[in-house]
Amino acid sequence: MQFIIVGIGGQGILFASRVLGHVALSKGLHVNGSEVHGMSQRGGSVISHFKIGSYASPLVRAKEADILLAFEQGEGLRNFHFLKKGGTALVNTDRPEAFSDPDLVAFLRAREVRLYPVEGTRLLREKMGGRFLFLNALILGALAASGASGFEAVDLKKAVAELAPARFREENLKAFELGFEALPERS
Amino acid sequence: MNTRKVLLGNEAIARGLIESGCDVITAYPGTPSSEILPAAAAFADELGTKTVVEWGANEKVALEVALGATFAGKRACAVMKQVGLNVAMDPFMSAAHFQLEGGMIVIVSDDPGCHASQDDQDSRGLALFAKVPCFDPASAEEAKSMVASAFELSEKHKVMVMLRPAVRIDHCRQDVQLGEVRHASAPADFKTRPAGHKVVMPARIMPFLEAHNARFEAIRQEFETGFGQYNFEIPAKRPATLGVIAGGVSFSIVKDLLEALGRDDVAILKIGTPVPLPEKLAEDFLARHERVLVLEETFPVIENQLLDRTRVMGRWNGWVPKQGELVPEVVESVLLKALGEEPPSDPALERLAAARERLGLSVKKPVLCAGCGHRPSYFAIRKALPDSIIASDIGCYSLSIQQQAVDTIVCMGASITVASGLACAWRSEGAAPRRPIFATLGDSTFFHNGMTGLATAVYNRHPFVLAIMDNRITAMTGGQDHPGTGDKPRQNETGVAVGLEEAVRGCGVSYLKVLEPYEVEANLETIREAWAYAKEHQEPAVLVFRHPCVTMLKARPEKRPVTVVAEKCIGCRFCQDRFGCPGLAWDGENRKARIDERFCVDCGVCVSACPHGAIVRIGEVL
Ligand SMILES: Cc1ncc(C[n+]2csc(CCOP(=O)(O)OP(=O)(O)O)c2C)c(N)n1
Repeated sequence: MQFIIVGIGGQGILFASRVLGHVALSKGLHVNGSEVHGMSQRGGSVISHFKIGSYASPLVRAKEADILLAFEQGEGLRNFHFLKKGGTALVNTDRPEAFSDPDLVAFLRAREVRLYPVEGTRLLREKMGGRFLFLNALILGALAASGASGFEAVDLKKAVAELAPARFREENLKAFELGFEALPERS
Repeated sequence: MNTRKVLLGNEAIARGLIESGCDVITAYPGTPSSEILPAAAAFADELGTKTVVEWGANEKVALEVALGATFAGKRACAVMKQVGLNVAMDPFMSAAHFQLEGGMIVIVSDDPGCHASQDDQDSRGLALFAKVPCFDPASAEEAKSMVASAFELSEKHKVMVMLRPAVRIDHCRQDVQLGEVRHASAPADFKTRPAGHKVVMPARIMPFLEAHNARFEAIRQEFETGFGQYNFEIPAKRPATLGVIAGGVSFSIVKDLLEALGRDDVAILKIGTPVPLPEKLAEDFLARHERVLVLEETFPVIENQLLDRTRVMGRWNGWVPKQGELVPEVVESVLLKALGEEPPSDPALERLAAARERLGLSVKKPVLCAGCGHRPSYFAIRKALPDSIIASDIGCYSLSIQQQAVDTIVCMGASITVASGLACAWRSEGAAPRRPIFATLGDSTFFHNGMTGLATAVYNRHPFVLAIMDNRITAMTGGQDHPGTGDKPRQNETGVAVGLEEAVRGCGVSYLKVLEPYEVEANLETIREAWAYAKEHQEPAVLVFRHPCVTMLKARPEKRPVTVVAEKCIGCRFCQDRFGCPGLAWDGENRKARIDERFCVDCGVCVSACPHGAIVRIGEVL
C-alpha cells in the first residue's frame, strides 16, 4: 500500500503518516516513507511519501500510489500523477467546481480514480470554531470512512487518540468523526 | 530487548550513536541533519547514559570539540549538513591525518536536489579528498548499523570515519530494530606521549602522510571482503542484459523499481562503502557485465574511482543527469534508456497537464510565518531608506527576498563581510557610500560566523548598519538552541546564555539599539538615525530587532485583529509584494487584499503595510 500525502507547510501532514505507521507497526507490517523537514515547512508545498509493506526505497514512483491524501486542493491536483490506475484520492476541497474541468474529468476516468472531495476547511470553520489545525485528524477520519487504506476505522481512530497530544485528544477525535461523517458517496 | 519502532532516519542514526556508546556528540544544525542531535539527547535521557550532547556555535567548533574528546580516548561524533563541512574543513583535514585515541565519526548529511540548501555538494567527494573512509547508507536501519561499524573501523585503524546520509535517509521514516548500549570507552586519559600524534607541524606531518596513505589502502582491502552486509551483489535470475552499480538511496530505488517492473535480467552491485572504493569488487562486476550503469548521488564518486570506464554508463558520458535528485521517475527513465527501451505512453497525463495549466497550479514557495518579526523588520528598513542595499544572510529571513528586501546572500555570516566589501568599494574611490548599506542576519548566524566579521568591520571602520534579527532561536532548521539562548539539548541541563548586546559591544561597537519589530512606524526614525551615525562616525552601527519566534517558541502575539476595508483597497498589491503575509491573501477575482482566517494570527502589524489605510484594526472601522 503506497500513499502520497500533500499539503502546505504548517498543515500538519506529517501526523497522517505517523498515524498510518503506528497502525501498520501494530500489525507487524514494515513501513518506509519520506518526509519534508526544513525550509518548505514554512508555508511551502510539502509532500510525504509513505509505503506499507516490504519496500527498500522511501519514495513512491509516479503512477504507483494507491492513495493520495490532499490537505489542500491545489496541491492535490498538482500531484494526481502519482495515482495508479484504480487509486483513491481524498481531497480537502474549497473550490469543487475545479473537479468538473473536462481534462481533469478525462484524466480521472482514464485512471479510474475514486475521488472523494471533502470540505474540511468549511467543516472546521462551522463545527470547530475555525481550528484548522485539526484538519489532519479530519482527513484521517475521511480516509477511515473510505475504507481505502485497508485499516479498520477503529484502529485508525485509536492511533489518532494515542498519538495526539493529551490536551488536544478530544478535539482530534471530534475532527476525526467530522471527517468520517463527511465522506460523500463515491463520485 | 527486541523491539521495532518507527523512526525518522535521523532518529535511527541518533539511536545508533547512543547504542555505540558514543561519549560526546556535537553538532551545528542544518537541514537535513538537524534532528540527529536532539534525538540523541532524547535517547540518552531515556537510556540514562552520561553522553555529552551539545550544540556548537558552528560546525568547525563542533568538529574540534569532538576531536578533542577523542584525544582523551573517548568515542565522539560531530554532525552537520554538507555546507557545514565547508566551515569545518580545516579541522577535518587535520583530523584526517591523526592516529586517534578514541573512535571518531563525522556525520555529514547531503541534500541532493537542494531541497533546503544553498548548493548540492557530495560529501563523499570531500571524504575522498581527505582520504577519510566513508559509509553511504541506503536505509535507516543500515544507517544505524553503519554507525556501529564506523566506530569499530575508526578504532581499529585509529582514523576518523565519515557517515554520509543523504536527505532521503535522514528524512525517511522506517521501522527499525532497537538495541541496548553495547560499548563503554576506557576512562578519559590524555596521553602526553607520543606528542607528535596530536600536533600538525611541517616537520611532523610528512611521516603522518605515508601512514595515512597506507591506512587508506588497508581499509580499501577490508572493504573488498569484510563488509559484505553493505557491499553485495543481487544477481539477475537469467543472463543479465545490464549491470547496475548503485549506492545510497539510489540502490533502494532501483531495487524497488526492478521488482515493480518484474525485471529479472538486471544485476545490481550495491556499494555501501564508496570511499575508498573496493576496486576489485567493482572490477569483477564490470568484467562479468557487458554494460554497467552507475547510480549514485550526486557526484560521480564511485564512477570516478573505476579504473576503466569504457563500458560504464554514468555521468562522464551523459547517461545520468549531472544535477538534480535521482528520484524514482528519473531512475526509471535512465534505466529504460540504458536497456534501450521506450517508456510506455500515457495520454491521460497530457489531459492532467492541460487541466493543471488551465487551473493555474504552481508549487507554493515557503514564506515567513504570519506574525513573524522578520517581516516588519525588513519592511521598515526598506520603507525608511528605500535606496538601501541589503546584504542578507542564511536563515528564515532569507525568505524576505519575496518582500524585495534581500539583495545578496552568500553563506552564513557573509552579510556583514559583504556589507564591509561594499563600503570598501566606495572607499576605494575616496568616497562615502552613495547608498545606505545594511547587513542583516539572525541571532544563530551571528554566533555562527558573524562576530569575526563584525570585529573586522569595527577595526577597519566600515560604515554600514548591522540589523540582527533576534528571534531567540535557530528557526529555519527547526528551532535549535545556540549560545545566545543558553538552553542545552539534554534534560535537566542548562548552559549560560551569552548576551547578544555584550557580544556586540565586545566587538567594539559604540552604536547599539534594541527594537521591537512590530512597531514599524516608531522604528523608521531609528533606522535612519543608525545609518546617519554609521556614515558620520565611519563605523558599523547595530540595531537588534528582537521578537521571539512565533512558531518555534509559540510566542503568540497579543490579539489585535484587523480587516481590509474594501472601499479603500485600490488593488495596488503593495501589501502583497512588500509585506507578503500568509494571513493577508490576494483575492484575484475582486483584485483586493483580504484576511485569510486560516493563517492570520491577529498580530495587527499589517496595518502599517497599506499605503492607503485600507487595513484597519477591528473596532476602528467606521
Ligand atoms: C554552514 C551552514 N550551516 C548550517 C546551515 C543551515 N542553516 C540555514 S539557516 C540557519 C540558521 C538560521 O538561524 P538564525 O540566523 O537565527 O535565523 P532564523 O532562521 O532563526 O530566522 C542554519 C543553521 C547553513 N545554511 N550553512
